[in-house]
Amino acid sequence: MPTKIYVVDDDESVCCALKVLLTTFDFDVKTFNSAESFFENVAGNTPGCLLLDIHMPGMDGWETQKRILNSGSKRPVIFISAEGKNDASDRALKVGAVGFLQKPVNGQTLVDLINTTSKN
Amino acid sequence: MKKTIKGPLLKKAPRYKLEERIHQQAKELKAQRGQIKQGADREKLGADREKHAQEEIHIQAKAMESTTDGIFIIDAQKTDFPIIYANPSFFNLTGYSKSEVIGKNYFSLYGVDANLPISEEIKQTLAQGKSFHGEILRFKKNGEKYWSLLRMAPVRDNQGGITHYVGIKTDHTLMKERDSEIEEQREELLHVTRVGKLAEFVSSLAHEISQPLTAILSYAQAGQRILKDRESQPQLQEIMRNIINDDQRATEVIRRLRELLKKNKPIFEPLNINTLIHDTVTLIMTHITSKDKVVNFELDSDLPMILGDRIQLQQVLLNLISNSLEAMEESPDSRDLLIRSFLKDAKTIVVQVKDSGCGIPAENMKKLFSHFFTSKPDGLGMGLSISRSIVEAHGGHLEVKNNNPGRGATFYFTIPVDGKDPL
Repeated sequence: MPTKIYVVDDDESVCCALKVLLTTFDFDVKTFNSAESFFENVAGNTPGCLLLDIHMPGMDGWETQKRILNSGSKRPVIFISAEGKNDASDRALKVGAVGFLQKPVNGQTLVDLINTTSKN
Repeated sequence: MKKTIKGPLLKKAPRYKLEERIHQQAKELKAQRGQIKQGADREKLGADREKHAQEEIHIQAKAMESTTDGIFIIDAQKTDFPIIYANPSFFNLTGYSKSEVIGKNYFSLYGVDANLPISEEIKQTLAQGKSFHGEILRFKKNGEKYWSLLRMAPVRDNQGGITHYVGIKTDHTLMKERDSEIEEQREELLHVTRVGKLAEFVSSLAHEISQPLTAILSYAQAGQRILKDRESQPQLQEIMRNIINDDQRATEVIRRLRELLKKNKPIFEPLNINTLIHDTVTLIMTHITSKDKVVNFELDSDLPMILGDRIQLQQVLLNLISNSLEAMEESPDSRDLLIRSFLKDAKTIVVQVKDSGCGIPAENMKKLFSHFFTSKPDGLGMGLSISRSIVEAHGGHLEVKNNNPGRGATFYFTIPVDGKDPL
């Protein structure tokens, strides 16, 4: 069974492109344009790695990650953001994310990180 | 009958004459006495006047000697501007002694300075019978520089002819230094603000461009993988490689731009928010006055210290004050700007900047703090979004509300008090 990946990004184009790319690596990818719609559609206990944008209208990436942690879910979260690396990467790891990748993301780097996370 | 008639008349006549004479004598005596008295009065009056005049001269002389302004008088009837009087402050100010000053050409006192155009300007102004007023950089006898605020005016006699020139010079060095210090600080703050705006602008731009670059890169890498097994399409494979390379090139440009305009790390130190407010207002006081606006303060003097970055918080205050001034620019009737500081609760200070301008239209309220939103023709739309992120980095909030309809708007931010403070 292919590994499940959830992508939450308010940019439609980014969602779509990541889905196309990750599908070529045989992942099962589901995309959401907002954190709200992700929580509505995906239960906390279903397995799968979350690729999470930070800067979003409504609930932003930080709040989303906090909510996942508070819910007791063990879902691995990888932040993928266009924010400056220095500002966000430390904070991402501090709040319990498994990784931070700055946009644009190299496909292979992302896949390697997903695979390491999934194995653990 | 004639006699009888005449008798009494004759008899009476001398009596009359006598009375008249006595009367006359009395009158004369009185007059003489009066004259004597008048003379005495006049004498007394003269003495009083003289005494008074002397007192006046004495006070005037004392005043001239006591003032901290340098006062000097030049004989205008001689061509070489000899100084005939100078008060002690003049000697203090210039560093020259009395003998080096009295009788000497005023303009030669400044040595090499004497032929400066400013000396010519003074001479010409005086020659036209006008007063001179100016700020001049002068040197003391020991070579020390000072700023002299100089006023020189012609003194005229009763016929209107110019007999003397009187000059007053004031040491303006401290004032001048203070002015240039304020100017420097203002420039520094404006520079930091400009750089901050640019950095924020680039950062926002970088963010916006990174999104499509992410999509392009992902699509191209997906395409590359799909094409990998198809050797019949070498040209398409190369196209994919080129798209990826150029995407990475654009990414590199953004990375370097970000690096170039990296935000300075804030330096947190204990600060008195009221001092900060005063310092910031001082920096733009000239601007405020030139716009014919008035700043009023309602600052709680018992506020505890806060922990913050001085420059960054000054940037916030400057931004809020400038915005308020601009909001009031259109209407000359709105002149008042009110800055308040007070304790909201034991742990939170509130700073308000209240203008009496046009207020903020309801439709702009929500977008006010977002990047690139501006209602000004030449605005970048960075000021308020930067201010908000600075305030938030200090653990506070920046908000806005409209005052009563037509009474302008109030921007206010909270800032936590320094935990280490005893309060």
